[in-house]
Formats: sequence, structure tokens, C-alpha cells
Amino acid sequence: MPHQCTSCGQVFDDGSKEMLSGCPDCGGNKFQFHPSSEDVPEEPEPSAEPPDPPTPDSSVARTVGNAAATVRDLVGSSGSQSAGAPDDDPSSRDPAPADSTPSEPATAPDRTPADTPVSREDAAQADARSEVVSPDEIPAGSDPPTGTETPAPDDTSATGNAEPDTAGGSATPEPAGDAGARVAEEPSEDRPDLSELREELNDQFESIKVLSPGQYELNLMELYDREEYIIALQEDGRYTIQVPENWHD
Amino acid sequence: MGLITDIRDSISSLFSAQDPKRIGIYGPPNAGKTTLANRIARDWTGDAIGPESHIPHETRRARRKENVEIERNGKSVTIDVVDTPGVTTKVDYTEFLEHDMEKDDAVRRSREATEGVAEAMHWLREDVDGVLYVLDSTEDPFTQVNTMLVGIIESQDLPVLILANKTDLEDSNVRRIENAFPQHETLPLSALEGDNMDEVYDKIAEYFG
Repeated sequence: MPHQCTSCGQVFDDGSKEMLSGCPDCGGNKFQFHPSSEDVPEEPEPSAEPPDPPTPDSSVARTVGNAAATVRDLVGSSGSQSAGAPDDDPSSRDPAPADSTPSEPATAPDRTPADTPVSREDAAQADARSEVVSPDEIPAGSDPPTGTETPAPDDTSATGNAEPDTAGGSATPEPAGDAGARVAEEPSEDRPDLSELREELNDQFESIKVLSPGQYELNLMELYDREEYIIALQEDGRYTIQVPENWHD
Repeated sequence: MGLITDIRDSISSLFSAQDPKRIGIYGPPNAGKTTLANRIARDWTGDAIGPESHIPHETRRARRKENVEIERNGKSVTIDVVDTPGVTTKVDYTEFLEHDMEKDDAVRRSREATEGVAEAMHWLREDVDGVLYVLDSTEDPFTQVNTMLVGIIESQDLPVLILANKTDLEDSNVRRIENAFPQHETLPLSALEGDNMDEVYDKIAEYFG
């Protein structure tokens, strides 16, 4: 079943990655299941989806088109992106097996993947299922998907806590489940492309790893390979670098 | 940042006419790099480069002695000696606590040592023309750090002399180092006592002149 941003109404295919760091259009981080032929209901209530047999020909095609158009696929999926309906809602179970695909083991506890009709799987789901997401694709401090179901509309403003320049070695991706509704968000124009981001994160995570204050692990090859020069570590694991002179041009 | 860049620029322009080779003294912590650097600097300039200590990571910033003129066999060789922080893959402040250091000081020393390793690796990438690789001959030379550093030096095609230091100690085993790096020339020495420094200077002149 597709997901819908409760702020702007944009619909995302089930399993879409682009919604993992918030709606790329409006930045909202609350999503609901999108019943077919129903637009932005006021309440993001999971039980609003019993009438769900989604007409795959219309909405799915549209959202797949959206997904393709969304070039910014830089947000790594955590593989647990479906804001799954609560298990205790029997009405949502039968008609909505599509959101319980095995690609979402982190949030879908003990649902039987066997009853997932393969025919309803769409491209985004297949992608999310088959692709193993490396941790470096997940922005630090990104929103764990478990927060997306809370109806309270707080925190829709992005906290923008991703700081690619200064992230320390300790900034391993947070496991889903904490950090409330913080979204690593920046104006979309400022985002580097995927390969740049990945490279940057690789550098940050690998050259100096801060185990605890005063305890470090160093990757000598990474330190040797990087053009910029780390000149000052800070207590919190961030560090200052000196970029090569030709970067200023 | 700008200051460092400026200093580096001014240094390199200052000596560009003579173009002395910059010789980096590399090796793991506590191998005797600063002791050797001081020995070389004192022998040929009268000055020292930096404080020596038995506590690892005493040198946490690369230090440089420019224009060290070494005379050998009637010729003179001018080099810049760069004493670098000891390179390691792990820095742990608890190691310093054993040396009667307060925790805050140990944590700070650890952080600075880590910065020092980053600096040493950076210098190796861009700023040295040759390497004196100093090893404590009482220690096992087959370590990840030694293998990696020597490998990087080789990949850069930098001339390198392996120095088996601390031959004044009873456990010294020069042969073990020779066996570890058979592709390079290994010289025994005691930088502390000044043993075999003549041969070291001969080889420096030969390799880096």
C-alpha cells in the first residue's frame, strides 16, 4: 500500500526510499498509508485503510513515476521504512499484506511473509527487498521510521543536524528507535550527489574512529589517502580539517 | 590553517634555491625517532629538535630542522630533518595513566597523538623526499604499522634507510629487522649513545645527497 505524506499529500510507493529522510517535497516526516482514491485525510490514522485494495494501475504507476523523477536517491534505506500498520488492527492485516514484506524485518514483527502476494509487489518494494543497504548510506541522525506513525504533528520542522564537514568518527548511523522525529534535512539544492556523500561518509567513518574520549582507532591508509589534513580533533569526535589549497579555487 | 599554510609556503620558498631534501624520520612510537633527530641536529647544527621522553607519543607534532649540513668525505649534503609523531593504529589514553599521568592529561595527550599520526601520514603523502625508518630493535618488527608504512614508502618510490635503534639494549636484535625488510638496507645504531652514527651519516649522504 502506498504511503502518503500528511503534509503535502505526495504519495510514495510502498518501500520507497526517498521518504526515509522525510518528504523530499515539503520535508514532512509524517506519513500514512494511502488508501486509493483518498487524499490527505486530516487524521493519519492507520485504521483508515481497510478500504485499501489499491488500484495498482493508477496510483502505483504514478508514484513509480515520481520515484524515478526523484533523482535524489541519496538517502540510504534502512530497510525498515514501512510505517507498518499496528498489528493489533485486524482490519488492516488482511488487505494490507503488501506492507509486511520481508524487506522490513526491523519494524514488522513476525508477520508472515508467505501471504504476501507477489503480484502486488512493485518496483520500489522489490528494490528495497533485494538491496542490502550499507550503513554509510544512512545519514547520521536520520529519522528512524518508527517515529512516523505518531500522530502528534510536532517536529515537522527539520532539525537539520547533518553536518558533513565535521562529523566525527563516532557518528555511526543511529539504529532505528531513538532520536524521536529528527530528520537529517537540508535544502535539497545543497545536497551532494550520492557518490560524493558516500565517499565523504566513508572518509569520516574510516580514517579516525573515536571509541571514547581519549581512545582512537586510526586507519592509516585512509589518513594517507585523504587530501585534506586533519589538524584538530575535538572532544565530541568532530575534527577540523585543512583542505588543500586548490580546493579554494 | 592559514598560518600553517603560510609557514609551509615560506619555508619551501626560502630553501627552494638550495632545495635540500626533506628527510622524514618515521616509525612507531617510542622507537627513538626524536632521539635520533636530536642526535643529527646536535651533531651538525648544535641545536636540538624536540624533547625526548620514554613516554610514548611525546612528539605529537611534526618538527622540522632545516638546513642540516652533513659533511661526508669532503662533500656536504644539506637536508631538512622532519621528526614525525610515532605512527600507530590505536591510541589509548589508559596507556599513559601508567606513567603517572592524570586522566585529563592522558586524554588530551591521546587526542594530540592521534592528530599527530594524521599529520605524520599527511607529511608522508606530500612533504618528504626520503625516509629514515626507525625501529626499536628490541621489539618485533613484524607489525601492521611497519608493514603498511614501509609499503606506502615503497609505493612512493622514496629512498628509505631502516635504522635498527637501541642497540645499546641487551634485547636488541638487529637480525630480526634485517629479515623483516630484506629489500632495504638496515643499519644498527644507538641514537642515545651515538653508536654507529658515522655509518648512518655515510648512508644518509649516499641515499639523500
